[in-house]
Amino acid sequence: MEGTAQTDQFIASGLAALGIEADEVDLAVIGAVHQLLWPAVVELLALDTAAVEPEPCPDLSKAPR
Amino acid sequence: MSGDPLDLGLRAQAAALAAGEVDPGELLDAALARIEQRNPALNAVVETFPERSREMLAAAPSGPLHGVPLVIKDEWPLPWRAQRFGAAELTVPTAPEESGPYRALRDAGATIVGVGNMHELGAGSTGATSFYGPAHNPWDPERCPGGSSSGPAASVAGGLVTGAVGADGLGSVRFPAAYCGLTGLKPTFGRAAMEGHHMAPTTSLIVSGPLCADAADCRLLGSVLCGEKLPAGDAAGLRIGVVRDAVSEDVTPDVREACEQAIEALRGETSGEVREIELPDLEPAAVAAILIINSESMGGTTPQQLNELHPELSPVARGTLKYRMLLPAAATVQATRVRTMMRRRLAALFEGVDVIAWPTVPAPAPPLEAPVVALPSGPTVADQANVRGGALANMTGIPAISVPVGLSGGLPVALQLQGAWGADALLLDAAEALERANGRRWVDARPPLAQVAPTEA
Repeated sequence: MEGTAQTDQFIASGLAALGIEADEVDLAVIGAVHQLLWPAVVELLALDTAAVEPEPCPDLSKAPR
Repeated sequence: MSGDPLDLGLRAQAAALAAGEVDPGELLDAALARIEQRNPALNAVVETFPERSREMLAAAPSGPLHGVPLVIKDEWPLPWRAQRFGAAELTVPTAPEESGPYRALRDAGATIVGVGNMHELGAGSTGATSFYGPAHNPWDPERCPGGSSSGPAASVAGGLVTGAVGADGLGSVRFPAAYCGLTGLKPTFGRAAMEGHHMAPTTSLIVSGPLCADAADCRLLGSVLCGEKLPAGDAAGLRIGVVRDAVSEDVTPDVREACEQAIEALRGETSGEVREIELPDLEPAAVAAILIINSESMGGTTPQQLNELHPELSPVARGTLKYRMLLPAAATVQATRVRTMMRRRLAALFEGVDVIAWPTVPAPAPPLEAPVVALPSGPTVADQANVRGGALANMTGIPAISVPVGLSGGLPVALQLQGAWGADALLLDAAEALERANGRRWVDARPPLAQVAPTEA
């Protein structure tokens, strides 16, 4: 339940801070999308990429330089 | 010639037109009649414009697609119609104009006969949601046709046209190709016409791509979209990389078996070899691609716009658009680092293999009513499952192709091949080799709806 409370707070405060209005249906959808995506976002953020040398202005049509 | 010209493949239809065996005006009328007859069951085509099509045909230059009726996804503007992106409203302005794919088709002599349905805002792999109502899978109208290029795929699989132009930002050509039993090419980033797409100036993922019955047809239409010939080769000695990890193995048994058989058949046909390779972090890479396309698509969107969304935008689209504003910038920055990491890993892998093969989608088309697939890991939302295997090509820029390799419960199963940057033609070569290996069994398979007696045409 704590996770749910934190999620509700994250969504509600985030939307309020940006001035985005959301009705009950919006909130239900946002909650469902958050539940699907957020764990993966957290996993992404936890990935150690410190050794990845940036590729400035990558040309996606070609192999990396 | 014998048989209905509408039931020929793309290149056969083009050849029959070029040889004068088929009258282009009659073919256009027949295609419009076919759409009128079959489309109510498919909802693949959301708009036709017979007079515009006839004008296009009247002015058509001689070209590789002279007189061939085609469908284009509701993602590009036409001179007489702005794209709607499968939605009641876009948060960016659009207007009728000559888009790149339109020009490419026009200059090749093709006739655009209709606009193809698509998943609302391009934001889904199933096609289950659209402003126009969902398109239906010709193999089973209760099933998803795949997305976001749902209408183009259903149009071709349903025999309305022989080829269609889709767009692929996270797999949106390959997923519907897989669900509908077609061949779909996602070209190398930047290679195919994209002008006029509302995200063309900002996207680093989306490309236009062909959906056709087989690889040779995709080569023809893909060459037109790329503005250059994708030459045919033989894929001899093909080195096929396969990944065996939790993500690539989390597929239904039927999909696994069909793809394993296809890989072995491809190896045999090309006298090639199969090499097991390691490509970790596919799941974070998929999320990274979602974050990148999110940041590219939401640029310029204001909270006020989100407070004034069109009332007919679906609840899912409304909520998702608002949620996207909450995603942290740090995650998007991390996503670009993961992109670099995956690009370097792929560059190293392509030193040792020519293609990387895995199932295009982990399960056949789910029901439109509930787009969830049953995987070994448990029930999974189809979008979440599909993006794992589709997004890598977009986030790194490499080309990829989906090829039908079987049926499971009467629904198509597909193998995806991914190649190095610029290896689009090699992927087509490999797909053709696979067709040869299985006697064209799967590319020539037609859904019941497209096998209706000729009295209808």
